[in-house]
This record gives sequence, structure tokens and C-alpha cells, in this order.
Amino acid sequence: MSKFLKLTASVILFGAIATTGANAQDADAGKKVFRKCAACHAVGKGAKNKVGPELNELIGRVAGSLEDYKYSKAMTAVGEEGLVWNNDTLTEYLTKPRGFIKGTKMAFGGLKKDAEIENVIAYLATYSASAEQAAAEPEEMAEPAETADATSGQAPAGLAADAVIPDHGNYHLGRVALPEEITAWDIDVRPDGAGLPVGKGTVADGGVIYDESCAVCHGVFGEGEGRWPVLSGGFDTLTADRPEKTIGSYWPFASTIFDYVNRAMPFGNARSLSADETYAVTAYLLYLNDIVTDESFELSNETFSDIKLPNEENFYPDDRLEEPNFAKGTEPCMQNCGDRPAEIVMRARVLDVTPDNDEEGGAGGID
Amino acid sequence: MSQQPTKDKRFVSSRRSFLQGGLTAAGGAAAAAALGTGAAFAAGTPDPAITDIKDWNQYSGAGVDAAPYGMPSPFESHVVRRDVPWLTADPVSSINFTPLHELDGIITPNGLCFERHHSGVAEVDPAEHRLMINGLVDKPLVFTMQDLMRFPRENKVYFLECAANSGMEWRGAQLNGCQFTHGMIHNVMYTGVRLRTLLEEAGVKPSAKWLLAEGADASGMGRSIPIEKALDDCLVAFKMNGEALRPEQGYPVRLCVPGWEGNMWVKWLRRLEVGDKPWHLREETSKYTDLMPDGRARRFTWAMDVKSVITNPSPQAPITHGRGHTVITGVAWSGHGAIKRVDVSIDGGRNWQTARIDGPSLSRSMHRFYYEFDWNGSPLYLQSRAIDEQGYVQPTKNALRAARGENSIYHNNGIQTWYIKANGEAENVEVS
Ligand code: HEC
Ligand code: HEC
Repeated sequence: MSKFLKLTASVILFGAIATTGANAQDADAGKKVFRKCAACHAVGKGAKNKVGPELNELIGRVAGSLEDYKYSKAMTAVGEEGLVWNNDTLTEYLTKPRGFIKGTKMAFGGLKKDAEIENVIAYLATYSASAEQAAAEPEEMAEPAETADATSGQAPAGLAADAVIPDHGNYHLGRVALPEEITAWDIDVRPDGAGLPVGKGTVADGGVIYDESCAVCHGVFGEGEGRWPVLSGGFDTLTADRPEKTIGSYWPFASTIFDYVNRAMPFGNARSLSADETYAVTAYLLYLNDIVTDESFELSNETFSDIKLPNEENFYPDDRLEEPNFAKGTEPCMQNCGDRPAEIVMRARVLDVTPDNDEEGGAGGID
Repeated sequence: MSQQPTKDKRFVSSRRSFLQGGLTAAGGAAAAAALGTGAAFAAGTPDPAITDIKDWNQYSGAGVDAAPYGMPSPFESHVVRRDVPWLTADPVSSINFTPLHELDGIITPNGLCFERHHSGVAEVDPAEHRLMINGLVDKPLVFTMQDLMRFPRENKVYFLECAANSGMEWRGAQLNGCQFTHGMIHNVMYTGVRLRTLLEEAGVKPSAKWLLAEGADASGMGRSIPIEKALDDCLVAFKMNGEALRPEQGYPVRLCVPGWEGNMWVKWLRRLEVGDKPWHLREETSKYTDLMPDGRARRFTWAMDVKSVITNPSPQAPITHGRGHTVITGVAWSGHGAIKRVDVSIDGGRNWQTARIDGPSLSRSMHRFYYEFDWNGSPLYLQSRAIDEQGYVQPTKNALRAARGENSIYHNNGIQTWYIKANGEAENVEVS
């Protein structure tokens, strides 16, 4: 019997009881945990597949079995072997996705705390009819605000006269920030390299991280899956009818790559890469954009200043005010303007403004 | 008041001719009924809205605590923010739009203010929120929310417009509804502390030239702001329209950068760093730079230019009452100050009438304008054109295209045209 079948069998005996308990206690906390999944998964009424499959009716679902979602070969295979999602199998999968199912394309490192796993499963179970039936008496979800306290202030901390007044500033408010606190938050990086942490990483290292954590959305070559952002290519398109603005074709500074990946990526799991990993993946993005060409190139706080992006020179300060339409104080025409009556030259192309198809619509995107 | 007759034929039908029209042939009465114009009067039968006793005339309604936090009437349930799903890859980094056609006056209700997040709505516990000031200051400081509320406060009404508002319209008329073409804006009264007051508490060093504002959300939203602006009118706000900021508007504290593009109004504000150079972060390089036809790009295009739009009628709000006395209304705003004047044209910009501005006229706040006239039922090309106190005039879309091409995405403040058909429907068009 495979390890999956064993897990599936055990839940027939214990799973229902375990689910019941968790369901009653922790679904609310699980809703918060689910934010770590929400970049890729939807659950609830009308949930659709995103990067990952929708998770309605998950408890009792055979792994990899949604017909309208394209799973990895690995996920389909374990489903065929008999893996069914329940408390135990989900616990294993969410602890270490790639440890449990080698080759799953879920680019997620796993949940670290047992409580988080229990809670997120309890939350998902509230969207699974099978789990709800198993629950003897499904309790109502806790009301968020029981009876709200009529006062919002904290209790006074002691005698007002004992408060310590700092000597800085005009109002003597706030306190001095500690160096460790500034280090924890001050992560920004400037084009001149100010703010770069000590660290290093090669193009080759970055490729491994990129394939693991970025390619699901941004595509193996940075070409962008579906409507997720394109990160490479687009050279010589800036004057074209449909310009493609990427790191290589448009961005002025390499520091922006490091800064942005460090603060915001991977989407839905920001701040999870180490400094070395961020150098490596930045190096890899430079490589995908032909800015560096050698796979053994190592980017570090020392080599960073060697990197120049080709489009740097093509940015200039706002000069809108020099356009003719900013001429001040010109009294606009009020009567008999234009030589012929107005005629329609263009009509709205998108007549139904709430399209529910997946078509790429619209000429100009928003950013 | 502003029923001034003009040379234009379509203005000619007077109140008298309307009454005559209403009293003529039986067919006319039926048509009036269908259009809802004085329906009961025209049909000659008593109006059941008057003669019937309604439930609400007879039975007591809900008691005081039925809704501890009140909600709009269920009859207003269609008045909501809406999105256009195909615009972005994921709702966590996306946008929705304010229903401008359902609003009046100048204030946007909190629940209808459009949303734009780059990594979803951060759910911040105010007790665990801190605002740090570091960099080129005498003393780096940390404030709690309670600390912030002990500084002198001020109340200001400002519009916040996304630089990409109307950005879908560069290549021509695209979306049918001012909610979608112009709804990335809201106008709110903020309560907060001057950014200057906080910076002076830390002591700004003479070498300071720039300020980085950074959010606590998972996108770590960050923008560089020149120190002159930071020390001028920026506000660190914790209340909107009298109550705490909504989570989607940056609860518990956000930055207000009056007159400048919405992306700079960092939500969930947690850090201000004073520096001597700009940071060139992603939102001021990859995004929010304006690509010109020659392939070069403008950067630091912060100010929002003078702009207006007619909100009613518009594609989501057609004229349903038929010809006769008609109220045209809309909003106007400018990042360069107050609005001095709004003109309205019903013939696609050939002749203009000055509209009436009503309500508060405040610098860098929305203004409400009205233009009332007798509509004779023939098709209209409605336009509005705003002029601000600096003398800047809202340009045509074609003038903008001539200067910038069609790929600059941001800062499209061109004149909008609604085509009003003979049946009162409205469509987004562009005219010659
Ligand atoms: C970066 C995107 C991403 C994140 C974050 C993510 N997932 Fe997934 N998930 C996927 C993808 C992609 C798959 C499909 C895996 C495959 O086919 O190998 C998947 C598959 C699954 C499945 C299997 C569903 C089925 O139909 O068999 C479950 C269960 C699941 N994820 C739960 C979660 C939970 C719970 C979280 C949060 C704690 C999470 N995932 C976070 C992308 C993600
Ligand atoms: C779950 C999907 C997802 C994953 C996984 C992901 N990203 Fe992103 N990425 C996004 C989205 C969405 C945006 C745009 C965010 C916004 O709108 O602010 C983005 C933006 C970017 C940008 C800026 C693009 C531009 O043109 O401005 C870079 C660079 C980037 N990601 C790098 C990475 C790297 C490196 C990784 C892996 C470590 C990664 N991303 C993982 C979804 C993802």
C-alpha cells in the first residue's frame, strides 16, 4: 500500500472526528492564514482557478482531479494512485509541498506552524460539504465583534504626572528609534548602491530560485504566464505601436530590481528571500534580459555598481508645462468653434463593461 | 436660473412648448407615460403610490439598534464600486472604480472610494502599528498611533486621483460609463497631522532633499517625494469623512499628497526616510513614468492636471424622462488649485455655456457643477471643460495625443464626450 493510500485509509477512521473539532475552533484564524494562499488560490462562492486550482469541496477531493485545471504530472499521478485530500494528507502537503509530492508545481515553501496548518484546513473545510456533514453539529462562525466595548481607549497606564517626557522636538512626542529597529525596516536601495546589504549570488543560483518561486507567474523565460507581468524582452519596442516595457527594455536602474524583489516578491510571500537569494535572482533577471550573459556571473554588493541598464539615459524630468495645451490664461473659444458640426469619429469598443470572459481587452492597461 | 436661451436650435424648446406637447395627441400621452414623465397625470388615472396604503405607512419599522453601523437603503444596492476583471491578473493587485454617476455634491462616501492595492488590503492592528522617521534627521523617531493623535490636527478636503484614471481611453473611446472612464478618483475630508510637523519633531537636516514614504503592506509600497512638497501641504491622516480610515484606504494611517497622483498617497504608512537623492523605486520607474512617442519617458510627473467629466447623464445613467427640463451635472478638479470655471457644450464643443458651480470651492478638491436646460429630444454630444485658478484649460484628447502619442498611460485629462441618443441613452464616443 502506498503512503498515500495509508493516509487516506486512516482518515476514514479518525479524519471525521479531527475535522469536526478543528472546524468548530479555528476556521476564523484559518481565514487569516489563507491569505498566504490567496495569491494563487480562491475559495468560496464563485471561486475560479487562479495560479492554483480553486479549493471548494477540497475535503474528500481526489488530488489533481479538477477537470478545468491543468495540474503537474506529479499531482495527477498521486491522485491516480489514490491520494484524497483530508486532514492528514493536507497536513503533510502544506508542511512541505515538494517533500510530500515531488514535482508539484505549487511554488510555496510550506506553512511553518502546526496551528496555522490546522486552522487553514479548518477554514477550507467550511467550504467542503463532506466535511460539514461529518461535523456533528456545525457551530456558527464566531461573530467578529461580540458586544463591542463602548470605549475604545486603553486603560490609563498610571498616574498622568508620572509620564516621562522625552526632550526631543517641539512636542516631545514619540521616542528615539533604536538602530536594530531602523535596520529591520530600512531596506530601500538606491541606484548609487546606498542601502545594499552585504551578500552575493550567481546567475546559476538565481535560475534555481526563479524556476522554483517565480516562474509559475512570470514564465520560465520571464515572458509572463497569462496576464502576470512580463519581466524580459521587449527590446526596441518603446517607439512601437504596442511597446513592451520590461526590465531590459525600459527600466533605468538595476537597483530597482533588487529593491522591489526584496520588498514585494514572490507575490503573496514577500520578504521570504535572503539577501544572497535576492542577489542571485536579480542576477538571473539581468541574465534573462541579456544584461549579463555569463551564467557564472556573481552579483554582490561589490559588483553591483558595474551594472548599467541600457535605457537609463532615456528618462527626463516632467516637462508637461511646456506643451501647448498648458499655455496659461488663454481664453478658450465659446461660440461657433470649429468649422463644421461635430461628428462621431470613434465609439466605445467595450460595450459591456463587465465582461466575464477571459479575453484580453482594452488598448491601454492600467499599472 | 441658467436656462439661458441660446442660438443653438436644441435650446429653443421652452417650457411653454413642452406643456403644449404634453397635452397634444393621445399617442403623446402614452409616450410620456412610458418615459415616466408625469406618468400618472398623463394617464389620467390616480397614482397608486398616493391612493394605496403602503406597508411603511402602516407598520412600524426596525428599531434604533437594527444596524449599529448604518447601511444604505436596500434600494441603493446597485451603488457599488465595480471592477473590470480583464485589466489585471489578480484581484489582489487590482483596481475598482467609484460610481461617480450615483453621487452628488463633492464628498465621496467612504465605502464607495475606489480601491487600488498592490498586494491586497493589509489588515493592520493599530496597537501594533508604528510610524518611523529615519535618515537625514537629528533624531530618528518612532510614533505610536496614540503619539500621532497628540500632534495638532487639521481637516482638509482633497481629491485623490490615480494617475491612470482615463488611461484606457488613450487610443479612443473604450468603456461605457464614467465609473470606468473616470472612477479612479475620490474626494474626502481628511483629519490628520501635517507631515511637516512630524518631520520637524525629528529635525530635518539641511542636506535633506527627498523623502521616501513607505507602506506596511506586503508590497512595501514606496515613493520618493521632494522635500519641498513634504514640508508644504502633505498630511499624515487617520480619519476620512470623520471616521477612521477604511482598511482599503490605509487604516490606521495614510499619507495625503494634495493634488499629486494617488500612488504617492502611501497607505498603511509606516516609514518616512529623509534622504538627499530620489530612490527610483519600482513605482517611479517601471510604473508612473510616461512613455513619449520618441521612446523616451518623462519621470516624476506628479501633479494631476485640470479635469472634469459629466456624470449625469452618462452611459450608466441615461436620460429616462424624455425631453423637457434637464439637469446636467458633473465634477471638476485640478491638482494646481481650485476650479475657476466649468463650461458645458451640448454640440460636441462648437458652442459652450458656463455651468454653475455649487457647494464648497476648495483648492485641490472636487467641485460640483450643474447645467440646466430644456432638452428638445434631439441627439446631443455632451462635453465639459474645466479651467483652474492658475488659468490651465482642460485640453481635448486630440491635443493630448498630439503632444504625447497614445502610449503614455497616465495623466489623461482630455475632454470627455457622451453621445446622447434620441431615446436618452448615452454612449462614450469621440467627435471630430
Ligand atoms: C505561488 C502559488 C501558490 C501558493 C501561494 C499556494 N498554492 Fe496551493 N497550489 C498551487 C498550484 C500551482 C497547485 C497545483 C499543483 C500541481 O498541479 O502540482 C496547487 C495545489 C494545491 C492543492 C491541491 C488541490 C487539488 O485540486 O488537488 C491544495 C490542497 C493547495 N494547493 C492548497 C494550498 C494552500 C492551503 C495554500 C496556502 C497555505 C497554498 N496552496 C498556497 C499554487 C499555490
Ligand atoms: C503568484 C504570482 C507571482 C509570483 C510567484 C511572483 N510574482 Fe513577481 N509579480 C507578480 C505580480 C502580480 C506583480 C505586479 C504587482 C503589482 O501590481 O504591484 C509582480 C511584479 C514583479 C516585478 C515587477 C514587474 C514590473 O514590470 O514592474 C518583478 C521584477 C517581479 N515581480 C519579480 C518576481 C520574482 C523575482 C519572483 C520570484 C522570487 C516573483 N516575482 C514571483 C506576481 C508574482
